[in-house]
Amino acid sequence: MTFLGLTRKSTLRKPFRVVLLIISVAVTFFIYGLTASFIAGSQGTAAASDELLGVMNAAGRNQPLPMAYLSRIAALPGVAEVSPIVRLRGSVGDARNVVAVSAGEPDKLKAVSGEELGLDPSMLQALDTGWDKVLVGRALAEAQGWTIGERFTVSSFRTKRSDGSRDWPFEIAGIFDGKSSSTDTYFVLAQYRYINEGRARGKDTVATFALRPEPGVAPQELAPRIDALFTNSAAPTRTLSEKQFLSAFLSQYADVKHVVTLVVSVCFVTLLMIVINTMVFALRERRFEIGVLKTLGFSRSCILMMVLAEALFVFLLGGSIGIGLAKLASLALPPALGLVFDQSVLLRATALVFLLGLFAGALPALSAMRTPILSAFRTR
Amino acid sequence: MTISETNSPFIALSSISKAYRTRAISVPIFDNLDLSIEKGEFVAVMGPSGSGKSTLLNLLAGLDGPDSGDIKIAGQRLDHMGEAARSAWRAHHLGIVFQFYNLLPMLTAEENVELPLLLKPFPASIRRERVAKTLDLVGLCGFGRQNPSRLSGGQQQRVGIARAIVSDPTLLLCDEPTGDLDRASADEILTMLGYLNRELGKTIVMVTHDPEAAEAADRILHLDKGAFVERARVMS
Repeated sequence: MTFLGLTRKSTLRKPFRVVLLIISVAVTFFIYGLTASFIAGSQGTAAASDELLGVMNAAGRNQPLPMAYLSRIAALPGVAEVSPIVRLRGSVGDARNVVAVSAGEPDKLKAVSGEELGLDPSMLQALDTGWDKVLVGRALAEAQGWTIGERFTVSSFRTKRSDGSRDWPFEIAGIFDGKSSSTDTYFVLAQYRYINEGRARGKDTVATFALRPEPGVAPQELAPRIDALFTNSAAPTRTLSEKQFLSAFLSQYADVKHVVTLVVSVCFVTLLMIVINTMVFALRERRFEIGVLKTLGFSRSCILMMVLAEALFVFLLGGSIGIGLAKLASLALPPALGLVFDQSVLLRATALVFLLGLFAGALPALSAMRTPILSAFRTR
Repeated sequence: MTISETNSPFIALSSISKAYRTRAISVPIFDNLDLSIEKGEFVAVMGPSGSGKSTLLNLLAGLDGPDSGDIKIAGQRLDHMGEAARSAWRAHHLGIVFQFYNLLPMLTAEENVELPLLLKPFPASIRRERVAKTLDLVGLCGFGRQNPSRLSGGQQQRVGIARAIVSDPTLLLCDEPTGDLDRASADEILTMLGYLNRELGKTIVMVTHDPEAAEAADRILHLDKGAFVERARVMS
């Protein structure tokens, strides 16, 4: 037997109670794992870059910018590459099957965010074989069951074609994987010229200009210089990093991060109350045994460590189960949910397991440590 | 810590005063109590309830401190030690046998016996070997993997004795070790304590209500109202 073995046996002496505690911890960390994955994934903000900038209309993201801005932005010192982007949202087949299409100029798009999206030259060559050719993100392709060469039609919500129809047929030329698992790949990458030439209104306008600063140029310094270019124009601009842009987009609906943080905090507080309460009662039942251990020569610090280890044992076991289930769920659930269980989520969850384990064990451990031997013996 | 060999008694209590206080009253237990016990002695302490037997044992075990006076055991001043030092002292020099065995129910007999060895820097193989030898010594060879609840009272007390002696302490304190046992089991335990005293040289202080149990000791001390009345007896 070792100290660890003694701790394990002490913890498991009431198996039913411990199993319930472990389940509570597991459920809490399962919820945490899912919500943290949601925030990490939250439609791509985790992988969104602080280096890439997006220029949009200061009046709102639904207002267009003239394509003519492209050359002026590209000529600005410090701008390495810039690509126009138009967006098209619509459904494929079922009206509830919503698909987002971002259209840009392939070469420019590759120069700006080809690395992040994992675009290679062969994909661009494939795109070049027809105006209606598109690249589809891996998550979307898997969700829809699409393969290269397959055709699909997006029924646009807003963008009409010149012939009055809303249907935009596309052919899949390639599937991109993204740089990491947290990269948002739940969209279609189309060609600007196809959308621009085909649409009935808003020709030669863009929704956004995506740009990459030259190496050594700070994006936060470049952004105000771009906006200053168009301050007195008919369409003033607002330049944000990709991350700021996505966060701003999400906060239009609700402050998702704060809501999720609040829910998770409530879960953790409830969990702590349950665990601390249960452990305090469990230790009260064992005061006599703690007295015996102290009589045998176990020091106060030794008792403290043992009780802390018991709390950590419960949290490590329950936490591992919960985090493991959350990881499995993030893999099993549809990519449309945008769950990304990456290393940062794992690290934060692990740190929380240790932190909460120690916190939950602290009160019972201090109480056990301070219990005078003679008073412990009187509890028999 | 080492036990120093000196000419002074192994256990020396001098001018010990102890009282239990509540807010309103103070109940004196000892007033200037003196006691000397030589190394290797087997001493039984008897007395009516409330005479201070348990308090004496608590003082000797370092579980409680005196209000005044000195407690010296094996040359070390117990009353000068802090709690951590007293814990370490107990772990190295003291074995305690309880009336109700006080075995941890979630551990097997051998794991209960091994507990004091966890505080020593022994490798697992040495610990296992010592546990096996000690269980053999108390006649429980083959019972090591049993849960205490599956053992008889006498067997549980033997596990308690094994736990008390496994770390080879010089002093054994026994608090009514036969108080919860039938006569036959009690006699076996007393025989074992006698063996530990005579053959292994353990100094034993045993508190008991049982005159027959006290007969197993070299010396019987009667505590009455916080003072000793000593009766010498001839060892059989």
